[in-house]
Amino acid sequence: MSTGEKLLELRAVSMAFGGLSVVSGLDLHVDEGEIVSVIGPNGAGKTTLFNLITGIYEPTEGDILFASESIRGLEPHRITRKGIARTFQTLRLFLNMTVRENVMAAAYGHTHAGPARSIFRTPGQRREEREIRALAEKRLAFFGERLMGYRWDQPAYSLSYANRRRLEIARATATNPRLLLLDEPAAGMNPKETQEITELIGRLRDEGYTILVIEHDMHVVEGISDRVVALDHGVKIAEGSFDAVATDLRVVEAYLGTGGTARK
Amino acid sequence: MGDRFDDGDLTQPLEGAAESSAAEGGTSPAVGRDEWVARDEERRARRGGWVGTVETRLGVVPWWAWLTLFVALVCLLPVGVENGYVRRVAFDTVIFMLLALGLNVVVGWGGLLDLGYIAFFGIGAYAYAFMASDQFDLHFPTPIVILLVTLVGGLAGFLVGLPSRRLTGDYLAIVTLFFFQAFLTLTNNGDDVFGHNVTNGPNGILDLDELSLFGTTIPRTTSQGQFGVGYLYVALAVFVIVYVALRLLNDSRTGRAWRSLREDALAAEVMGMPVNWLKLMAFAFGAATAALTGTLAASLNGSVFPQDFEFPLLIAVYTMVILGGAGSQAGVVLGAILVSVLLEVLREPGDSRALFYGVLLLGLLAILKPSLRLAVVLVGTIGLGLVARVVAQAVDERWTSGVAAGGGRLAGWAADWVIVPETLAGWVAPVAYLTMIGAVLVLTLVDGWARIVLLVPTLYLAAFVWENVMLAKPEPTRYAILGAILVATMVARPYGILGEKRVEIV
Amino acid sequence: MDTFIQLTLNGLTLGSVYALIALGYSLVYGILKLLNFAHGDVFTVGSFIGFGALQLLGGSTDPVVPLWLLLVTITVAAMAGCAALGVVIERFAYRPLRDAPRIAPLISALGVSFFLAYSLQLLFGAEQRDYDAFSMGEGVLFFEGFDIGNVRVPLLRIVIIVSAFALMVMLWLLVNRTRTGKAMKATSYDREAAAMMGIDIDRVIVFAFVLGSALAGAAGVLFALRAPTFASLGFIIGLKGFTAAVIGGIGSIPGAMAGGLILGFAEAYTQGYVSTRWSDLFVFVILIAFMVFRPQGLFGKADIRKV
Repeated sequence: MSTGEKLLELRAVSMAFGGLSVVSGLDLHVDEGEIVSVIGPNGAGKTTLFNLITGIYEPTEGDILFASESIRGLEPHRITRKGIARTFQTLRLFLNMTVRENVMAAAYGHTHAGPARSIFRTPGQRREEREIRALAEKRLAFFGERLMGYRWDQPAYSLSYANRRRLEIARATATNPRLLLLDEPAAGMNPKETQEITELIGRLRDEGYTILVIEHDMHVVEGISDRVVALDHGVKIAEGSFDAVATDLRVVEAYLGTGGTARK
Repeated sequence: MGDRFDDGDLTQPLEGAAESSAAEGGTSPAVGRDEWVARDEERRARRGGWVGTVETRLGVVPWWAWLTLFVALVCLLPVGVENGYVRRVAFDTVIFMLLALGLNVVVGWGGLLDLGYIAFFGIGAYAYAFMASDQFDLHFPTPIVILLVTLVGGLAGFLVGLPSRRLTGDYLAIVTLFFFQAFLTLTNNGDDVFGHNVTNGPNGILDLDELSLFGTTIPRTTSQGQFGVGYLYVALAVFVIVYVALRLLNDSRTGRAWRSLREDALAAEVMGMPVNWLKLMAFAFGAATAALTGTLAASLNGSVFPQDFEFPLLIAVYTMVILGGAGSQAGVVLGAILVSVLLEVLREPGDSRALFYGVLLLGLLAILKPSLRLAVVLVGTIGLGLVARVVAQAVDERWTSGVAAGGGRLAGWAADWVIVPETLAGWVAPVAYLTMIGAVLVLTLVDGWARIVLLVPTLYLAAFVWENVMLAKPEPTRYAILGAILVATMVARPYGILGEKRVEIV
Repeated sequence: MDTFIQLTLNGLTLGSVYALIALGYSLVYGILKLLNFAHGDVFTVGSFIGFGALQLLGGSTDPVVPLWLLLVTITVAAMAGCAALGVVIERFAYRPLRDAPRIAPLISALGVSFFLAYSLQLLFGAEQRDYDAFSMGEGVLFFEGFDIGNVRVPLLRIVIIVSAFALMVMLWLLVNRTRTGKAMKATSYDREAAAMMGIDIDRVIVFAFVLGSALAGAAGVLFALRAPTFASLGFIIGLKGFTAAVIGGIGSIPGAMAGGLILGFAEAYTQGYVSTRWSDLFVFVILIAFMVFRPQGLFGKADIRKV
């Protein structure tokens, strides 16, 4: 699938809060069309990595390139406009807005009608509104039965947990990204739903998205990854195919603690 | 279940076993869990009986129909009412409605605490005074002034919001509060800015031009010296324009982004919405509305003074927005009407007494419903009053020989029931007032019959404080009540009368 | 030079009162992240309680107790009254809104502030109340004292400055040396974590309100010894107290003290060397400058955004 072009590249990125180093000297790249999984125990710096890529944090050292262009220090909304979108592990939907509105709102970055045009309802503005609506419905329809039509006018808070995760993904894709960052998309799902998510991520790649995913569920990771990167204490400890990384001694150690090797 | 439907879609399992088992039978399509949750919420929110039916029917009426009806009614008001005072109050109320609409953009849509809002109102008024009076000998035509003032107001809002861009809500509040203070300092001391007289200081700017549209000047007063009703129509027209413009704005990409950032600013930013820019925009739109309103108010008053733009006005507008329901345009308009009328009624002891007892009765009726408990409370309170008064009279004649303020039948009744001493000893007012507040606060903590029993003396005490302390001083009473309404609304019903109840964390 | 000494003295007096008020803002903000708008009005209530206590004790000309006891009593009365007021405000106006969006308690605070100011006006009128410190002990507060150069430092100023700093030291000891104080620090650092460690958050919050409001009460009395008080005084004083807290770094105790003093000096020097008319505006400029260039204040730490 991968075309070999580096879409995202982190060069020796470090991040420290006060004296506490959370990510140090991290090199990472995601090629166009690739699905890369990031694994690692809690506190390994995975979500921090996403926060760095999306501009919520600015790295203390190093550089982040997207499509060969530095995005370091850009405001998050500018980074999104360049083509990076993400979901949140903790689910940060706009709960009191309808399902459809949640997705429509995310089209802000690539649409243009300003306040004046909205107030005067110019033809261009109306056309754009229709397009945004159509886009939102297309993104929602991607999930088929799961986010069916009659639910689109419901407030997001009425959705079940699994559907909220799906809505997060639909919302992220509505920003028209090239790179999707998925933060534990299968967290809290039952085995059947997890299976579905695995298939879904594959379909997203077929749609043309490049995907960087954080995941704890090893079945998901095994099922989707072209490449796996393991982090521990903010340092990359292994990288490669799923099998290679899963059997890497340091990875096992990181998950089981130092005693793990002794027992092995 | 499959053979009951010939619709192919529904034969497929929908959401797995758990969810299809929740499906309702009959001809309705299968209902998933999410749908069920949503419908259940609707069912619970809907009231039963004819109230519920009316409510559902009214819910279908589109917003523009309401607006048209409302404006038509206000337009008809001057036809039926010759009284210049009432017309003037109607004009002030429309001004308040405009102010509330503008503040709603900032507070309700932007989720920002703008405590300098009234300064923008003042800037609009002063801008009109500068451009349409002898102060600088400028007399611009009205449409140009209005356009300029709105732009200047928006720009001022933008500039004030700029330093607080990166900062949280509290910092914005404090910057804007200081800006408000700076505005007052400037207008009060503006008669000597490096030797130049700009604002004429506390003496204000007088003799502003009257509004003039399409070559006709709109007179401020009629030949009999009454309020010129033309201003009411101008204000109404502006109200409609502002209402519709803001409504359309909210129903667009920008409005969606405002709602998003209020829900979760960080998620909005990451979804590509420039949060700081959007906040600034909300701020600027609010400021522009306030400035435009300031122009209207100044043109009718014919003068501007620094003391027209002080802190109590800010609280009044906040109370309107919060009481009506921040975020809902219809709500804040309703809030503006309620608070504006409330403030007017409280000026006059007779009216304000009627309002006080009326609100108490309605409140009791709403909370206790027509029930035994209500009867107990009413009989108990009246009885307590009569007994207390007889006892007081027996102890000392002067304790009950005072005269209730105002006049009319109600005042007479009140004086026959409430102890109104000839003169109040200095300590009585604070002690009674504090005890009343304490009793009200305790009422919110107790339940059942304890509450009923406590209600009786509390009500009587409230009547005593009302007759002896508050009626005599309408000015502080009005504002103390505004403060109390703000706190009570925030605590008991933060979404106001018409605002939508929001789910914060699920 | 004499002018400079005089202005420095003015700044120190004013600044120590501002610092006391700023501490109240900081304590509450540190724990609840709430800008307690009502704090300035608690200050006014304190000055009124002090006035009432003064009258009860026979007034300033002919008190029934010795002067030192008179001053101590009215200060303690104001502190106790304000502490109780603070507890009531927290319980009824803020606690129900603890999980609401951040704007909700702010608006509630605005309402409380307004309610307090106008209740005072309703009960006691809008006119000024003067403690008449000049008459206390036949003018001893003004005639005693010492000289720096040609500038007289009257006893009254010494009393104000020394009491303000004594209270600050007491607060510092309370926060750093007692269990509840340490619990308070922990809570301001991370409320949830503190709760999980078994700290009673409600108690800590009430404690912060008690301390902050008591300091405001004391500040009310100390302020009113020099200048008359009136019902709407709290608005502008509260604004300055908050500015002091922001300059020092809100949430930080030494910051509040430093901020108060800086603001006091800035105000005194502007009034002396530039103009009294624009001194409020100058304070405003300082605040804006801080917000733009150092929003975390002198002693604050830059915020880390949590996701």
